Amino acid sequence: MLLEIENLEVEGEGKKILKGIDIEIRSGEVQALLGPNASGKSTLAQVISGNPKYEIIKGKIFFDREEITELQAEKRVKLGIALTWQNPPAIKGVKLSQLLEKISKVETEKFDIGKDLLKKEINLNFSGGERKMSELIQTISLNPKLVIFDEIDSGLDIKRLEKVAKIIKKEFIQKGVSILLITHSGEILNFLKPSLINVMVNGKIICKEKDFKKVLGVIKKYGYEKCKKCKLLAD
Amino acid sequence: MKNVKNVNYWQIDNKVKNILEMKGVEVLPGELAWEKYRWVREYFVKKPKQGYFIWIKEQIDFPLLTCINILSKDIQQELNNLIVVEKNLDIRLKGTCNSLKRNLCGKHNACGKIILKENSSLKYEHIHSWNQKDVIDINYEFLLGKNSKLDYTYKIFSTPEELKIKTKVFCSENSAANLKVLGDSRNSKIKIEDRLILNGEKSSGILKLRLVGRKNSKISTDSQILAEAESKGHLDCQGLLIDKNSELSLTPELICKNKQAQVTHEASIGKISGEELYYLMSRGLNEQEAIDLIVNGFLEIK
Repeated sequence: MLLEIENLEVEGEGKKILKGIDIEIRSGEVQALLGPNASGKSTLAQVISGNPKYEIIKGKIFFDREEITELQAEKRVKLGIALTWQNPPAIKGVKLSQLLEKISKVETEKFDIGKDLLKKEINLNFSGGERKMSELIQTISLNPKLVIFDEIDSGLDIKRLEKVAKIIKKEFIQKGVSILLITHSGEILNFLKPSLINVMVNGKIICKEKDFKKVLGVIKKYGYEKCKKCKLLAD
Repeated sequence: MKNVKNVNYWQIDNKVKNILEMKGVEVLPGELAWEKYRWVREYFVKKPKQGYFIWIKEQIDFPLLTCINILSKDIQQELNNLIVVEKNLDIRLKGTCNSLKRNLCGKHNACGKIILKENSSLKYEHIHSWNQKDVIDINYEFLLGKNSKLDYTYKIFSTPEELKIKTKVFCSENSAANLKVLGDSRNSKIKIEDRLILNGEKSSGILKLRLVGRKNSKISTDSQILAEAESKGHLDCQGLLIDKNSELSLTPELICKNKQAQVTHEASIGKISGEELYYLMSRGLNEQEAIDLIVNGFLEIK
């Protein structure tokens, strides 16, 4: 098992956000995490990547059999965990190429995506599509074992979504990198076909289902309200 | 300065190490210029003992270089510099002043005048790099002739124990000044006084300060734009405070004595955003590397 999360409970700003999360991701596996807004998906992504803003009050996280619950963020990156941010902050005065020079574990000259972004200041006045591309370039440069994509599909039209999905397939899935796809709409799942889908509502995973089409169908038709009433609700 | 052979004026401690003259540029120690040219005396308060006189008479298409070093212990430099750019020239100048070793306890006092004659243009990059026990006091005046342009950047990323900087720019008719003062301070007491005097019709000026306070630094600035003629000026002061033992005080001031003039200012002191810091750490940088990158970005202004 590459990533194991056991009974994780997390607080942020004095409020309990994650209420007992269990997730296991094998090497090379693609899983998805779906849920309504403010259900705790992004918090889980930030906690896995090591954001000290959140306090883990219970549970453990293991990566490659090593416990990383208390490990600093930069050390998790070195172990092979990468996160693409949903709303990455702008870093004024710092060009994307300058950051890549410092962090890249691969030859960035070979990148055939987003070359026009390299001379721009990181995330400053980027369009939605540019932000996603910048996140992808940075993540590729880290040569990770596991990538958490936090809403990489949000705000993209179908053409751009397809382009992003192609890059994820080529740069990660085909190379055996494990993926946790966090998504609200779920459209991207049709391109990337996860082997397991987790549905999170109100800080809990209430459903784990192999057939992503089935879950997407229910959510599209009834929204997450139906999930909350599901008989299989793991409560 | 990497290639000292190309330096037009090079001084180590209190001695002139080398002078490189070229066609169209006269370079002299200030003392000799005082003797040779009577007219230069109006720009010096008294006969200079140290420092340079650079008279640029013809167009030069590469940057002129000056380099002032402190290499020995307990040296006190008293520089009196004069640069004159003749009419219609477009000149670049890079000046470096530094101490070459730690704990030299050097004192570098420098005052100077930079004269830009009609229609001339000067891009001047002034770089200081000192060590912790040095004490620095500099006082520069720029006199901008009609239709002239000044682009002056002062950078200091390795700060001394004490630093005082006074800069005064007088802008005559239709001249334009663009001044930047960029400092990353550690264990340092810094006092900055800038004056931009718009005394010519249609003159304009922008004064930008970017200052970072870390490791027990105390920085205070007093920046003023004085518009005496129909002119435009903008003052932009921004500070970044990194540690709890540092202090940063920015005082922008606008004085307008002409109803056709337009002067504006903006000032802010901020901290490093936790989100930006964590974003960079989520890319594998440790906290110090992430802070340094954010600071470099803050000091990178156009």
